[in-house]
Amino acid sequence: MLKLYTSEPNTFFFKPLIALAEKNAQYTTHYFDATNFEQFAPDFPSDLESGLQLEREGPLLVHGETIISSTSFMLEYISESLPGPSLVPGDSYDAYTLRAWAQYLGAQLGSIVPVLGCAKYLKPHLASLDPATVDRHIAAIEPIERRAGWLALRDGTYSPGYLKTVNERLAAPIARVEKALQDGRWLAGPAFSAADIDAYPMLCVLPDLAPATVNQHSTPRIMEYLARMAARDSVREALRTAKTPHPEQQFVPGIEASRWG
Amino acid sequence: MSVTLYHWEPNANSGKPMLTLAEKGVAYESRYLDLLQFDQHKPAYLAVNPDGTIPAMVHGSRVFTESTPMMEYIDDTFPGPKLKPQDPAARWRMRWWMRFFDSYFAPSLSMIGWSIFIGPAARQRPPEELQAAIDRIPLESRRIAWRKALFNEFSAEELAESKRRVLFATLALEKHLSRSRWIAGDTYSLGDINGFNLGYALPLSQPEQCNDMKTPHIMEWLRRIYERPAARETWAMGQTQMAARIKILERNPRAPHA
Repeated sequence: MLKLYTSEPNTFFFKPLIALAEKNAQYTTHYFDATNFEQFAPDFPSDLESGLQLEREGPLLVHGETIISSTSFMLEYISESLPGPSLVPGDSYDAYTLRAWAQYLGAQLGSIVPVLGCAKYLKPHLASLDPATVDRHIAAIEPIERRAGWLALRDGTYSPGYLKTVNERLAAPIARVEKALQDGRWLAGPAFSAADIDAYPMLCVLPDLAPATVNQHSTPRIMEYLARMAARDSVREALRTAKTPHPEQQFVPGIEASRWG
Repeated sequence: MSVTLYHWEPNANSGKPMLTLAEKGVAYESRYLDLLQFDQHKPAYLAVNPDGTIPAMVHGSRVFTESTPMMEYIDDTFPGPKLKPQDPAARWRMRWWMRFFDSYFAPSLSMIGWSIFIGPAARQRPPEELQAAIDRIPLESRRIAWRKALFNEFSAEELAESKRRVLFATLALEKHLSRSRWIAGDTYSLGDINGFNLGYALPLSQPEQCNDMKTPHIMEWLRRIYERPAARETWAMGQTQMAARIKILERNPRAPHA
């Protein structure tokens, strides 16, 4: 009994779809439109961990009685609990590298990419809906941190100055990934792994969202890497689950930026 | 291959690999860095970890700088008791709580700790010396954090929000431990080591929120970890009063042990 609660294959939602395809796993799906608040329906699975998860909006994998949230660890769970090829390197140093990337890119790209995507696509979408309905949905969201991700789209937080700062924060993680890809084709050791499944969905939207930072000229290794990943059968299979013509334009709030500045 | 660990007090991120290595029975060379003397931003250490964050572990020719993944590496690599559960769902739970500790609970708790402990301690020195120390920090995010701590730039709103989050996270942890003996379920794991480093002094620093009446499961969990030989050994390596706070977990010697 394996059931994936998922929205369009983009950012956090993209990751388990790729991993399950790599595993050739049998599972059912419950599709919801995350941009229209369907994850807040009363019958949606919820427990202590899924209610507090720091990605704020994302997929859930229900396996028997267990609700798996938080996508980096969901990938490790898929690797460890399902038959098929391991997605975590056998070498313990490479496994460390995978987890160190997940921690670092989770905090960096996981907080930056959703803001850039929401500014470009979700904000105008919400503006096209009935304001009273949107505000009522948002006001009901718990906990406060999760609600804040949506409120920021309505209260003027997304000013040009704020978006400029968020864009600037991309430089350091992108430079780090570009440098790593000069030394090897994959992020954690000599072979494809969950580190690539974790990073790719956050990187592949950046030529659209931040073309001045991620492009053929400034980040040639990342551009090659994106093409290499896009050619994988599992990535193509994940994209076939899309129900809209442009899943790469579907964004919802992600990880909160560090409160330390 | 030898193991060298660069660390500060057994506390927060430094204490995570210290206690993990002690639980595994791995002998290591300890290199103590004095955070308040900015040892972690001096050239000798930047040659080990150019980011200037602590802890860092060197195993053979390899360097490890992310403390939570470092704990998993130690468990994966060295013999000794297994510190990750076998069951994948329990492992997922262990990792989920470690992320909650690292990314939600710890930043708020440390903002309070820095505002009342590290900032005032460091301000004993001339401002120009502090500014020069800040200028040497390699990572911009750490420069911002140190500037806030050293010049007391935390706003009242930021501190109030941190206090709210510490209470919220404490209650979530109490709820979890009321249904689960250890963080990952039936067995002691890296999740407990991580949580203990975050929370061992909560009964002292947050006495109104973390005590035997309001959070009995957290109190009992902290005491159980404190009574482990590896925790005794690790906290004995502390060189300041910070590590001595652990004594708050001493059970009343006249009371029967639970």
